Amino acid sequence: MGIGPSTKETTLHNFRDPLLDVVAADEELDLMGVLIVGTPQDQQDKVLVGTRAAVWAEGMRADGVIISADGWGNSDVDYTNTIEQLGKRNIPVVGIHFTGTAAQFVVTNPYMDTIVDMNKNPEGIETNIVGENAVDRIDARKATAMLKLKMRKR
Amino acid sequence: MGEETKELRRLVIKAYHVREVQWGSENEVTENGILTVDKESSGRYKRGKEEYISDISFRIIRPEERDQYTNTIMDIIPISAKVLGDIGDGITHTLTGVYVILTGVDTVGKQTHEFGSSEGNLLEQMKYGKAGTPGENDAMITFDVTLQEGMGQIRAGVTAAHRACDEFVQEFREQLRKFHGDKCTERHEFYDVVRPGKKKVLIIKQVAGQGAMYDMHLFAKEPSGVEGSRSIIDMGNMPVLVTPNEYRDGILRSMQ
Repeated sequence: MGIGPSTKETTLHNFRDPLLDVVAADEELDLMGVLIVGTPQDQQDKVLVGTRAAVWAEGMRADGVIISADGWGNSDVDYTNTIEQLGKRNIPVVGIHFTGTAAQFVVTNPYMDTIVDMNKNPEGIETNIVGENAVDRIDARKATAMLKLKMRKR
Repeated sequence: MGEETKELRRLVIKAYHVREVQWGSENEVTENGILTVDKESSGRYKRGKEEYISDISFRIIRPEERDQYTNTIMDIIPISAKVLGDIGDGITHTLTGVYVILTGVDTVGKQTHEFGSSEGNLLEQMKYGKAGTPGENDAMITFDVTLQEGMGQIRAGVTAAHRACDEFVQEFREQLRKFHGDKCTERHEFYDVVRPGKKKVLIIKQVAGQGAMYDMHLFAKEPSGVEGSRSIIDMGNMPVLVTPNEYRDGILRSMQ
């Protein structure tokens, strides 16, 4: 498992990313930036880089975080850890992730109650069709709405 | 509530629509929307990379010609050039109506992919009209790399394919950069802003960082480029902050 054709974000996707468009255009939000974090192989490194991302968010005094993942499976270890680290720091977090029927999380934590599933395939599977499951504006709007709600409840 | 929105910097992206892609004697793009590709030029992009690349070939695929075989799609790349300023501010020119499709296989037929492979009929292997794919009416130029045996599965081989493709795109960038600003077909202005008093939100993007076809580059000299870029792997996969305008100006290059 890793990055499949239907979920992968091409260079063109990053150039006109709907997630950035939606969040940046929302006048109720002050978008501070985009934090790019990798997914190392080693377990200790996975925990390290995700924790550093959460420390950045805390240091920036983020009121909320939307975290997206390019790929699933092995990289879910990184993803769940980063969400947990954000949650422990009392930062509301919403995820966007490919789940479908094929990629249920093996391990979860209490902070993973708001994950938008970017799956669009009727059978809920990763496919070999480029772009089929990639994040679109609807996913981005759902995540933004969920985050607003979560920040309000806080 | 709060003070007024404060603008930090402006990015202007000017788009030039390409209405016709055709074979020609040079790699050339003109302001009036004609792009030509020199079929014979493909050999020069593998120069110095023969250890990894056996052959490169091009195809021009018009919207009605998608019913044909493709090797696995490694990336889809916009042709954009920095005109003024650095990535994230100033002026960028970009082409619409045509995108470069990087595809790959090795000399023994092994497709260049990480997990799941998209080779097959191009009509069926792509969901058109998404943020990361060409639209229904867009033309495509496939940059098809045949890697040396096994080289499609190692990071250096995959990176060499991206570099070769970037050298090809650079030839168009050099021309696109000189297009007259007032001849653009679309003009978009983007601002990095502070909205005091509003909820402060951070987007975290978890990207690939483990090796061949599972890599992400940042900080190239040109939008969506490779030359001058750094791999997230080489940066220890540590979090790196970019501004919204840097991001939408093509600071990321997907190497998966």
